[in-house]
Amino acid sequence: MKMYLPPPGAKPTRRGVLKKGLLGGALLALGGGAFLFTRKSVEVDLPADGLLVLTPREFAIVSALAWRLVPKRDGFPSVDAVQVARGCDRILTMVDATAVDETKQLLLLLENALPNFLLGGRLSTFTKLSTDAQDAVLREWQTSRITLRRTGYTALRGLVMAAYFASDTTWPAIGYPGPLPGIHDPNAPVWKGGGAERPVGNGTFREELLAPPPAAVDGGTP
Amino acid sequence: MSQGRIVTGDELKADVTVECDVCVIGSGSGGAWTALELVKQGKSVVMLEEGGYHTRREFDMTEPRAFQNLYQELGNRATDDLALTILQGRSVGGGTTVNWCSTFRTPDRILALWKERHGVDTLSTAVLTPHWEHIEQRLHVAPWPLELINENNRVLWDGLGKLGYERGLIRRNVNNCLNLGYCGLGCPVDAKQSMLVTVLPDAVEKGLTLYSDCSARVLDWDGRTVRAVRADVLDGVTRKPTGVKVTVKPKVTVVSGGAINSPALLMRSELLSEGRVGQRTWFHPVLLMMAEFEHEVNAFRGAPQSVYSHHFIDRGPGKMGYFLEVPPVQPMLASIVATGSGPDTIELMTKFKHLNVMLAIHVDGLLPEETGGTVRLRSGGYSRHSITYDFTDAHWEAFRHSCKEMAKLQFAAGAKMVRSLHLDPVTMTSVGEVDKLDAAPFAPVQVKVATAHQMGGCRMGKDPSTSVVDPHLKYHGLDNLFVVDGSVLPTSLGVNPQETIFGIARWAAGHIGQAV
Repeated sequence: MKMYLPPPGAKPTRRGVLKKGLLGGALLALGGGAFLFTRKSVEVDLPADGLLVLTPREFAIVSALAWRLVPKRDGFPSVDAVQVARGCDRILTMVDATAVDETKQLLLLLENALPNFLLGGRLSTFTKLSTDAQDAVLREWQTSRITLRRTGYTALRGLVMAAYFASDTTWPAIGYPGPLPGIHDPNAPVWKGGGAERPVGNGTFREELLAPPPAAVDGGTP
Repeated sequence: MSQGRIVTGDELKADVTVECDVCVIGSGSGGAWTALELVKQGKSVVMLEEGGYHTRREFDMTEPRAFQNLYQELGNRATDDLALTILQGRSVGGGTTVNWCSTFRTPDRILALWKERHGVDTLSTAVLTPHWEHIEQRLHVAPWPLELINENNRVLWDGLGKLGYERGLIRRNVNNCLNLGYCGLGCPVDAKQSMLVTVLPDAVEKGLTLYSDCSARVLDWDGRTVRAVRADVLDGVTRKPTGVKVTVKPKVTVVSGGAINSPALLMRSELLSEGRVGQRTWFHPVLLMMAEFEHEVNAFRGAPQSVYSHHFIDRGPGKMGYFLEVPPVQPMLASIVATGSGPDTIELMTKFKHLNVMLAIHVDGLLPEETGGTVRLRSGGYSRHSITYDFTDAHWEAFRHSCKEMAKLQFAAGAKMVRSLHLDPVTMTSVGEVDKLDAAPFAPVQVKVATAHQMGGCRMGKDPSTSVVDPHLKYHGLDNLFVVDGSVLPTSLGVNPQETIFGIARWAAGHIGQAV
């Protein structure tokens, strides 16, 4: 039997219990509002090569979020040009299933009209809000007194920024020249042993050239 | 013994069972040195590494490729509430493949404290010195010359000089370094003397068999003996199990997965030490400050870490100390680490070439009230665990102090703007505004906290009721299981940890060999 923890003898900290309670509670309270949640999301064009992790609805939420986190700006490629929402979908193929689940919950929490109504007085899903109202929602998450919202903001912001700045098309806008050319060797030898001679390089070393080590001090034996 | 081999996951199409003297789990700073010394003793050694075998052929100095291949959870590892971001390596070579080459011996005061408080009477400066001397020769460890430090380090150097603070040049493990600046993304010219290009191939030449893309999932044990290590072969891209299994039947097992994955493996194996496994994890919590300069800093170029200061390492009784260094600044990580609204971050990124970033690395685990981090298994998680960290009042006091000191250093070095990494950033345009940080919230998920150093979780100690492994790193209660990595450290160090782990591993290999 697998032991999921805390293990026997470990006392859960009061803080841990509180946090768990708060998190669970917040998700229930904010994520479970079925009525307002049934309100429609905006529909957006899906990537030509399809989605691997996100649903079309989740994809639309990421798209809207990306447009607000990286709005149009001279010199910078647009989030659509970089395919940020598709990039987020692809990043999620490589992460733990539990992280995918939490990201999806967060996206739906952001979209959900109920918390937007309760905490911001807006009776609409995130994707259907005006851009000003969307910015206000994100500002509420960023500066919220509820840790879960700040955590959620940090997570979603990080995902979008990673997908955006992963593209080298963003480099000219920030003046980043990129790696120096002529350094990386895509044909460098890959040594796996098995009797093959190890190529001489910066990592190889002739141990006999080492100065004789000083006498080791015995650390004792178990 | 004939030459060994590196077997990558894509070569494994059917289940494999191998017998050997020692199975080493993890190929980072602890596992690599242990394995090399054991094969030198003539032992047959099999190493399992969950990360892939990525070499300079792939090290193209771009972030997406590096984070995908070389970091735990694509660089997204964090505490459950994201209050603490955990940058940790995951490939052949472990953290040494992506670290920034800073090499320090373990401070005397830390070894003395381990002896006094934890009964670690096996390790001392005298015991470790011959190992450090050997390691430093093998890895070409030398101070980085002042004339070669980059502008980002120059800011720290100049600021420290202006304020009259203690400063020093970092010793780096590099050979023929081209001063490129991409240590964190895998060195494209093998100049970094990581385990990937030095100790591991040395060990393979002497007989080590290394399976990459193999995640050790459980140790089979009964009575006082580990019988087998069961591992999943992982897909090279998705990092999900392919269904192929590797089983190793060793006489002795060495767990070297680092301070998060080693405890997780023990917990999956129901080796819990009454709950102590995964507790008292230390992270050297890092606070960062960004500064904009009139001139170009180009913090993406040049040896990333070459200057340090231990000026605030000991702040007196009851206070948490810290040390100062700088990180490399590359676009993707900078944009993620930078806080604030999206448009605000984009605005900041237009100053990219002019940005300096400074780090204050806090020495946790020394104050009596600290309990540190806790690692627990997560239901449904495969490589992602539940991680929490208890920040104390002493943490927040030190964080505020270090942020103010970093801002002063940045202004002393000529910064025209300094910005904190609060979710709602504090922006200052002169040293007179540093006190604005007194009003800023220092609390979880209000200000960015990160870690690049993971320690503890399987702490060593004499008393089996307060520790996980004994002072020889043998698991209390089992006869043939050792833990050799940063997880055994009873406290954090106050210096970058790689050489401490190298030294302990090379020392431990001596008596681990005798246990076979």
